[in-house]
Amino acid sequence: MLIFSFILLGTTLLTIQTTIFPMLPAWMGNPDLLFLLVVYIAIRLDIFPGAVLALLIGLLMDIFAGVFLGLYPVIYLLLFFLLQGLSRHLVIDETVHQAPLAVASYLLASSGIYIFATILAPDASLTWSWRDILLSALILAVIAIPFYQLCSGIHNLALKGIKNRAFLRSKSGNRFLA
Amino acid sequence: MRKRAKRTRQIKALLLFGVILVLVLMLIVATVGRQEFNAPHKLALEVIGKAQSGVTVVTDFFTSFWDDYIALLDVRKENLRLRQEVKKFRATNNEYREAVATNVRLSKLLGLKETLPPPTLTTRIVGKDPSLWFRTVIIDRGSSDGVKQGMPVVTVEGIVGQIMSSSPHYAKVLLASDPNSAIDVLIQNTRVQGIIKGDGTDFQLNYVLKNCAVTEGDAIVTSGLGGVFPKGLPVGNVTRVTKSRRGMFQEISIQPAVDFTQIEHLIIIMKENSLAE
Repeated sequence: MLIFSFILLGTTLLTIQTTIFPMLPAWMGNPDLLFLLVVYIAIRLDIFPGAVLALLIGLLMDIFAGVFLGLYPVIYLLLFFLLQGLSRHLVIDETVHQAPLAVASYLLASSGIYIFATILAPDASLTWSWRDILLSALILAVIAIPFYQLCSGIHNLALKGIKNRAFLRSKSGNRFLA
Repeated sequence: MRKRAKRTRQIKALLLFGVILVLVLMLIVATVGRQEFNAPHKLALEVIGKAQSGVTVVTDFFTSFWDDYIALLDVRKENLRLRQEVKKFRATNNEYREAVATNVRLSKLLGLKETLPPPTLTTRIVGKDPSLWFRTVIIDRGSSDGVKQGMPVVTVEGIVGQIMSSSPHYAKVLLASDPNSAIDVLIQNTRVQGIIKGDGTDFQLNYVLKNCAVTEGDAIVTSGLGGVFPKGLPVGNVTRVTKSRRGMFQEISIQPAVDFTQIEHLIIIMKENSLAE
C-alpha cells in the first residue's frame, strides 16, 4: 500500500512535470518534483521499501527523460543510499534542514548526471549552465517544505490504511484487550 | 558495546545491500546495450502516455479558449492577409506542379530511377522532457501506426528530430537540439557539408574547414547523407562564424528553423529500412 501510494504520487508528478510545467514561463523553470520525492523517500522511509521506490521512480524517469536508459535509476539509488546513511548519523529530516538538503542533493545529482552522461557519450558534451541549475535549485528550495508536508500527509494516509486493515483482521481470544 | 556492534552490523548490511543493488542495475544497463525500451518500459509509457494525452487535451482546450476569445481583435486583419497569401501560393503551386510533371517526364526519358516520397504521418506532442539536460518529447503515435526507431520527424518549418523508442501507441523523439543528436547537413549556397549537433537550444555546425566560405545568414539544409533525413529539408540559418587560431575547423552557430519551444504538431516521415536498425 505504501509503495503503491508513492508510485501513484510519482506517476502524477511525472505527468504534471511533462505536460503542464513546460507551459510555464522560462523564469519559473521546471521544478523537478520527482527529485524532491526521491529525497523525501530517502530521509523518511526504511531502506528496503525506499530503495525499491527510488529504483522504480528512476525507471519511470528514464522513460520520459534523457537518452541513456539506466542513468536515472543509478543516480537516484546512489542519492538514496547517501541520504539514508547521512540520516542515520545527522538530523537532516528536520524542517529547517529540508530546503538546504534539497539544494545540496540537487547539485549533487546534477553533477552525477553530468559526469555519467559525459562518460557514456564523450562526443555529446552536455552544457553545464550555472544559471539554469541554480534557478532550479532555488525553486526546489522554495517548494521543498510544502511538498514534504504533502508527502507526509500521503505517507500518514498510507500507513493509516495499513493499520486499519490490520485492525480489521479477526483476532483470537478477547479482542477487547488493548 | 552491544549497541556499537549492532550499528556496525546495520551499516554493513546497508552498504552490502546498496552495493549489490547498484551492481545489479549497472549489469542490467550494460547488458541492455542497445538502449531500447523493453516490455516494462513500453507498458509504463503506454499507461503514463494516456495520462499525458488526457492532460494535454485539457490544457489545449484552455489554451485555444484563450487564443480564440482574446485574440479576436487581429483575426479579421489576419484573415484578409491570409486570403491574399493563399491566392499567391495557389498560383505558385500550379507552376510547381507543371515543373514536377516536366521533371518526371524527362527523368523517365533519361532512364533515371524514380523514388516516390515516403508516406507521412501527423502526430501531436503529449509530453516534454522534464530534465534540464536532455531534449526529448513524447508523441501520440507508436509501433501500431508503423512508427519505427530512426524515422525522421519534421514540421513545415524544418527538421525536428528522430524517433528513439516506441511502444504500441506512443513514441519518444530525440530533438535535433539535444547534444546527442547529429545530423548531416550542407550549406545551401556553397554546398559545403558538415554535421550539426544540438547544444540544448541552438545548433553547432561542425567539421567545416577554415578555407570554406561561410557567412552569417547562410541557409542550412539536410544533405540526405546517412539515409535518415531526405535531402533539402530546412535546418536553420548561420548566426555566427568564428575562426580560431587553433584547429582545422570553423565554429559556426546555427539558429534552428524550428522554434523548439513552440512545437505542437509534427510530421513523421515513414521511411522504410532506416539506418538506425
